[in-house]
This record gives sequence, structure tokens and C-alpha cells, in this order.
Amino acid sequence: MSNESLIADLSSNLAPVQRRSMLREGGLVFALGAVELALFLGLGVMRPDMHHMSGSPFLMWRVGSLGILAVAACLLAIRSYSPTAQPRHGLMLACALAVAAIVAGAVVAPSGVSGRTLLERTAPASGMLCAASIFVLSLPVMALLGALMRRAAPTQPRLSALASGIAAGACGAFVFAFCCPFNDPLYVVVWYSVGCAAVAAVARWCLPRRFRL
Amino acid sequence: MGREYRTMRSDFLSRLISKPTQGAARVSREQPSRTVPDSWSDLMVAAQNGHGGAYRRLLSEMSDWLARYFQRRLPPGDVDDAVQETLLAIHRRRHTYDPQYPLGPWLAAIAKNKWVDQLRSLARRPVNELPDEIAVGDHEASVISSSVLASLLDELRPAQAQAILLVKVQGYSIEEASGQIGQSPSAVKMNIHRGLARLTAIIEKTPDVE
Repeated sequence: MSNESLIADLSSNLAPVQRRSMLREGGLVFALGAVELALFLGLGVMRPDMHHMSGSPFLMWRVGSLGILAVAACLLAIRSYSPTAQPRHGLMLACALAVAAIVAGAVVAPSGVSGRTLLERTAPASGMLCAASIFVLSLPVMALLGALMRRAAPTQPRLSALASGIAAGACGAFVFAFCCPFNDPLYVVVWYSVGCAAVAAVARWCLPRRFRL
Repeated sequence: MGREYRTMRSDFLSRLISKPTQGAARVSREQPSRTVPDSWSDLMVAAQNGHGGAYRRLLSEMSDWLARYFQRRLPPGDVDDAVQETLLAIHRRRHTYDPQYPLGPWLAAIAKNKWVDQLRSLARRPVNELPDEIAVGDHEASVISSSVLASLLDELRPAQAQAILLVKVQGYSIEEASGQIGQSPSAVKMNIHRGLARLTAIIEKTPDVE
């Protein structure tokens, strides 16, 4: 087929298309996250002392930093779906935010955690459960971001998939933060990171396979 | 081996970069600008709204631009395929263009992606299959291609560059190349495979041009 006949085919019966909009796509992800949080809390799994803890710096750090990370990572992931975007810069920014959150966590650590052993502080049995919960909670957002990525045109699909995984993991961790009973920043940093990393690895492996520019 | 490679490379480049004739220079000056016209953005907006005539004009002009883009980056036999693949990608993803931004980087990003795809398919092809028209083509394109090729080959290990130069560029068979450079045929194949993979990685990391 010559270029001319291909162009004639493509331009005949041309239908209008709806342009991509970061605002609309961000709104979709936000709405899904809100619905997921409402459903999750509706199940009655919110930690019982949440109201008592509401003013504590530790809880504000946990929920606040995960919320900021989730919003920033989602916006960066959606931005990375544009052909002209450079996902590497967004990923570096997300990593910088995560490091800043970890540093802030050391400042707000509740008293009474420093005398315990590393094994007691990280509680591996509960931690694995937390990481698995974060993984499951992140799946809806990962699926939505994967669908948005497929509809868009990322020219670096592997990095965009990684950004999507980090965003989905941060959303899952944010929702889970409302029911996690542990009050140790080390526990949060270790097991929430494990959960997010697992989501990011799965997204990095799965999403580019479903994508073709 | 290093000196042999350098001699072979300079022979090859001197054959490609011969003194341009007056006619070639005139053709080169008469070629349209390589930058993307501003009007393309308006045509794309009209196309997004379903205007077939504007879209046909846009794709025709883009097709010429893409042909020049790929002529400087791919063997002549692969240029038409790359242009058509890119036109199809533009058609499928036309909703991703945001009129707030210039069209040039958007088009260049898609074209670069398709270039990388073509390089990957080139690497997957059997090594003894070389288009007959590889040595034929526009003089300017050859000069630029050879210049780009030379700078890219400098990034590779000499054994990889030598194997690619002999088999992929000069058209020798694996056995002939193996005899010339004193490597086993499987080592030549491996050097070609790894060298092309490395070139693809280098190209992917370089920022878009145009």
C-alpha cells in the first residue's frame, strides 16, 4: 500500500476524538480512590482509636505523607502517559518525596519505640500481612492507571508503568493507613515500602505487555 | 584488530562521504525546512474535531517530513515501512495531542519511538538478509547516515562495531566476516546481536531531535 492510499484510508470517514485531559484522568483516579476508601472504612476496619489519635503527629505524618505521595505519584504517572513526557524526572521527584517522608517519620516517632528490639519493632508476621493488604488495595487503582496508559501514548512505557505502580502502591498504602494499628515509623517505612515495591514491580512487569503505541 | 577496524571504518566512510556534486548541493538547498510548520497544530486540532480534509493535508505533509526523518536514520528499504507505521500510530493516538503545546515534539517523540521499533526489527532479522538497495540512495541522506553511524559505532566495543560494519552495512555474509576478522561465526553473530542491542539502548537514551 502506498503512503497516499494509506492517508486516503485514514482520513476518510474521520470521527471526532475526545482529547486527553490530565484533569479528567486525575479526577477519575481520585474518585476511584475515594470510593475505595469509603468502602474500606464502611467495612468497619478503621482502627478503633482513630478519633483519639486524630491529633497525634505520628498519625498526621502517616496519613499526610502517604496522601501527598499518592496524589503526586498519580499526577506524575498520568503526566508520563504523554508522548513528550520524561517519566524519569517524575520518578526522581516521587523518590525524593518518599525520602523526605521517611526523614520526617524519624522526627515524629512516638516515645517508647526506641527501647525495643529491631524484630519487635518490625513485627515481620504482621508486616507481611500489611504489605499483602496494601498490594490488594492498590489493584483497582493500578487497573485504572493501566487502562488510562493504554488509551494514551507513552513513549517510555516501562518507566510509565513503574510510575503507575508507585502511584497505585501509594494509594493502597494511604487507604490501609486508616486501619493499621502499628504506631512505629520503622514498621511503616519497612512494610509499606515492601507493599508499594511489590505493586510497582508487578506494574512494571505487566502493564507494558498490554501496551502498544 | 583495532587498527584493521579503524582502516576499514575510514575506507567505508570515505566511500560514503565523497565530495558532493553541484547538482546534489542544489537539490539539498531546494529541500523544504526540517522544522515542523506552526500550521500543523491547527490542522491537527481540526482533525481532532473530525475534519477529514485538514487531516489528509496534515498527514500528507507529515509523510514528507517523516520520509526525510527516516532517510537519515534507516536503510532506504525500511523508510516506507517506518513512515507508514508512524502515520498509523499518529492516527491511533491523535487524541493525545494537546493543542496548548507545539506539535513538533509530539510528532518527533512518536517518530523516534517508531525508529527504535524499526531498529529492533532490524536486529531480529536473519543476519544474511540485506536489502539490495542498501548502497543506493540520496547523497545527503548517506552523508548524514554515515556520520550518525560513525558516532554510534564509536560507542561500541571494536569487535561489535567491526562485525556490524561488515555484515549489516557492507553486506558480507557471516562466514566471510568471520574469515576477515578472525572470529568464529557464532562470535560474529553474538557481537552483532549485542552491538545492535547496545545501539538501541543508546538511541533510546538520547533526547529527541527536531
